[in-house]
Amino acid sequence: MRHKRTLWTGLAIAAIAVTFLAFAVAPASAQVKIRFQTWHWGEKPVFYALEEFKNEFNKNNPGIEVVTDESRYGDKETVYIAQSQAKAAADIAHFMHRAIPLFAERGYIMDLTPFIEREGGQKWLAQWDQHALEVCKYKGKIYCINDYVNPLALLYNTQHFKEAGLDPNKPPTNPTELAEMAKKLTREGRYGIGLIGSRQEGLFMRFNPFLWGAGAEYLTPDNKRSALDTPEALEGFKAYVELFTKHKAVPPGVIEQGAQEVRTQVALEKVSMEIGVIQAPLIYKAINPNFKVDEVMAAAPIPSGKKRVSSVEYGLRVISAYTKHPEEAWKVYKSWISKEVQLRNFKIYGVMSARLDVKNSPDVQNHRFAKVFAAQGPYGKIEPMIPEWPKIGDAMITAVQEAFAGTKTSEQALKDAHIATNRALGVQ
Amino acid sequence: MGTGRTWHDRHLGYLFVLPATLMLVAVLVFPAFITLKLSVTPEGGSGWNLTLIHYQNAFRDPVLLRTFKNTFAFVAWSLVGHFVLGLGLALALNQALPGQTFFRLIALVPWTIPDVIAGIIFRWVLNPINGSLNPLIRMLFPGFPAEFQWLSSPTLAFPAVIFANVWRGYPLVMVMLLAGLMAIPRELYEAAAVDGAGRLKRFLHVTLPGLSTIILIALALDMVWEFRRFALVLTMTGGGPGTLTEVLSTLVYKTYFQFFTFEYASAMAILMSVVLFVLSLPYIILVGRKQ
Repeated sequence: MRHKRTLWTGLAIAAIAVTFLAFAVAPASAQVKIRFQTWHWGEKPVFYALEEFKNEFNKNNPGIEVVTDESRYGDKETVYIAQSQAKAAADIAHFMHRAIPLFAERGYIMDLTPFIEREGGQKWLAQWDQHALEVCKYKGKIYCINDYVNPLALLYNTQHFKEAGLDPNKPPTNPTELAEMAKKLTREGRYGIGLIGSRQEGLFMRFNPFLWGAGAEYLTPDNKRSALDTPEALEGFKAYVELFTKHKAVPPGVIEQGAQEVRTQVALEKVSMEIGVIQAPLIYKAINPNFKVDEVMAAAPIPSGKKRVSSVEYGLRVISAYTKHPEEAWKVYKSWISKEVQLRNFKIYGVMSARLDVKNSPDVQNHRFAKVFAAQGPYGKIEPMIPEWPKIGDAMITAVQEAFAGTKTSEQALKDAHIATNRALGVQ
Repeated sequence: MGTGRTWHDRHLGYLFVLPATLMLVAVLVFPAFITLKLSVTPEGGSGWNLTLIHYQNAFRDPVLLRTFKNTFAFVAWSLVGHFVLGLGLALALNQALPGQTFFRLIALVPWTIPDVIAGIIFRWVLNPINGSLNPLIRMLFPGFPAEFQWLSSPTLAFPAVIFANVWRGYPLVMVMLLAGLMAIPRELYEAAAVDGAGRLKRFLHVTLPGLSTIILIALALDMVWEFRRFALVLTMTGGGPGTLTEVLSTLVYKTYFQFFTFEYASAMAILMSVVLFVLSLPYIILVGRKQ
């Protein structure tokens, strides 16, 4: 009897505690919170732009609160998948264009068409770079409106050019010139060009212009089969890989080098050239405040080869299909892609907007580096936007690493990538 | 004639274990069931339309087969390293020497470092340009190449990852063996010495038999853990160069979270669990016998 009483007393205390806790953690107000997820919350100077946006929006919209939701670049997709499977993803999340077909196929992200129609449809969308908008479309629906465009360009150290007897006003215009100049720039403790060889998206960005510039493609026009078995593909593949294996113009340990490692080497003047993004000069300054970036560094189109082409990466936000507050999320979204915010973002961290009015503004057009990067836009190209791309891309990274490491010849590595690509596409 | 225990007395215990049971169901049984179901679901499918196609594909997948081989080699060499280093240090730290406690604590340090941190540390240390290992070797051997490549080398990348894993993981085996050594009665050594047994004979006929059960348990547990080793490999090499250092856990992660082929990745994970179960059978049988 006594046991029973103890049990009931215990249960009653537990019930009271749970009820109390439930009230304690309940929201203090009925304000709608919109989780704004990006890896940039932890990165300066981007952080300043985000903070300014958040504070300004929250001040002007008393019923909605933009709240910080931090992700990490390396596992942003992993986190989002896990959160989406639990139907608890951030209301607005930041990705690069490659995520769109993957997330759309799984139903994780919201079709924005109804919101866009309400804003004015195509007429409203005409404010953005139409080429950039294509990456937001998948199977007849539109899942995002880009906020920034990241075309790549060649960044080079003019001082090193002078020291090597090269004309700093005549950067390389094709892969052959690039290799020759990289060799001349290489000397004790310094290398001509920094390349990415580690397993990350940044590798495609640097490698693709060589492949496409040689006239090759990853896939056939119908995206059904690999097109890596062409002489052009081998030419492009070799142009990239041989900068390290044959010309010895790339620092050792290339397989371990990511984008940040290469930027660090440029900032420390151990590397003379890199294929980089528009934010790179600001990052050089952050890494090495003594490096006179504006005086020494210059930008030029990527010396891609027969075809002028640049890699381009599109930064974008998506609204979760599981958001409980779609209207409020759209309000935040629309504010983020507004001209005022996008122009401010350019001024704070040098990122180039997909909005035409920002891209064509005097701030961008008169900027030393931005004008060169902006001019690459029309030549910008992306990898095939198909759900199988991650597997194909991984096969290509494997091939590049195998050729860098010398475990396979370029011919064999590319042949294996061709087979793996066809396998990924289900070609027997 | 009853036992005097009420229904409530007999069942109260169940109530106490209920929260832990529910927790285990939520974090272990439920995800395992979902993974198993995913592994027999057609790609992108849902409901109960089941298939074994992912298992068929797995057995034909050259990448998976190669990764299985890599994983077995990784586990085998790690176990050898953990055992040799763990036993050697356990024997040394079992001696009555000044500063014994301090050295025991120092020897445990690698165990306190998370995998990710250990991976990043080794990546920095082995970096050909900014790493600290090359200058250190050059101090001893000035002719050693200044920018020697470790993790980019097809022959050295895998041994380097195993070395890092041996360094990070030996303390567990060491602690278990040290506990076993401390439990061996000193009288046995004294009796063996009286019988004329030297150091080696005492080690072979007293120490090793006295440790045999603990060695088996330590290696069985270590094998299961090493089979699942993930973050160290991912942060050090990402599976490269090429796929030379790819292990099962990194491949499953990549297949699930990067290739988005949840169903195939689940089939791989189930196969990995089956192999792990088979490998851990000696441990399970041993523990069962002891009980």
